[in-house]
Amino acid sequence: MLGRFGPGVGTQVVAVVYHQPNRNMATLKAISIRLKSVKNIQKITQSMKMVSAAKYTRAERDLKAARPYGEGAVQFYERAEVTPPEDDPKQLFVAMTSDRGLCGAVHTGVSKVIRNRLSEPGAENIKVICVGDKSRGILQRLYGKHIISVANEIGRLPPTFLDASQLATAILTSGYEFGSGKIIYNKFKSVVSYAQSDLPLYTKKSIESASKLTAYDSLDSDVLQSYTEFSLASLLFYALKEGACSEQSSRMTAMDNASKNAGEMIDKLTLTFNRTRQAVITRELIEIISGAAALD
Amino acid sequence: MSAWRQAGLTYINYSNIAAKVLRRSLKQEFRAEALKRDESHVRVTPWANGRPARKLFFETTFNTYLKRF
Repeated sequence: MLGRFGPGVGTQVVAVVYHQPNRNMATLKAISIRLKSVKNIQKITQSMKMVSAAKYTRAERDLKAARPYGEGAVQFYERAEVTPPEDDPKQLFVAMTSDRGLCGAVHTGVSKVIRNRLSEPGAENIKVICVGDKSRGILQRLYGKHIISVANEIGRLPPTFLDASQLATAILTSGYEFGSGKIIYNKFKSVVSYAQSDLPLYTKKSIESASKLTAYDSLDSDVLQSYTEFSLASLLFYALKEGACSEQSSRMTAMDNASKNAGEMIDKLTLTFNRTRQAVITRELIEIISGAAALD
Repeated sequence: MSAWRQAGLTYINYSNIAAKVLRRSLKQEFRAEALKRDESHVRVTPWANGRPARKLFFETTFNTYLKRF
């Protein structure tokens, strides 16, 4: 019947009839590709966990040395009973995060505290300084108008006092005259836990009008000015150290969980791979045996 | 009024310069570790209206010129 139409049609019909590949063989290859990629991912997350464990030990040691800076500054404010001024509603929030991700909920925790405060009424007087690209990314969509400064290159290296001084100088020269402020950071509690906390920022005016300032002697305007600047830098330094320590411990936990999940996926995939392999072998055997039986 | 405050430095600048001098005057075996604390890589950019503030071209080139000296 095909001969009536000539040889051209015949070749076309032959070309259309192709050999359907065995479905189980194709999925076997797909499973092995998936298995290889999940194994690579597990290796990567395990090595990231080791790296952040090393960085965490160093960060915890640095934090122990940096605690006196933060606690001393806070103690001064408490003993002198400094309060934010009632007549100046302008506030400054500093979001202490970093540039690097894959570290659990550290950045979203800090940004959530600021977001909740900014969504409440009376938020026009609050300006934000984002330390670290992560908080900038989270806040810039809805609250971009509140951001007055962004600091980069945080998180790659351990923070130094010079970093904190640069931030403090940026705050002092930003041109934004705030009455009081807060540094929102992650306070390190233990290897597995951290929590958002805040440190107060005051201006020289609030300190001068503090009730119990007379508890400290030999204070004049110059000394108070210098001390305000220095305590700003030391509070920022302390918050940077605490944030770095919380971030490394959180990254360690996150990468450990990721490795465990990858391990579970590998187990499940290995089982399906073996089952598929056995099914392929059985199918081939059936074909061979039924082919042999047909010859009889 | 202190001389450095009159010259336009803040206390933070003053104490950092003093710390730099101190680190450079340490003995050889302690210098390397102290000099590691002497670097800062943070970069602060001012923002306005939800975007990074645009600086005038002359201002940025002048600042980079100043930073070399």
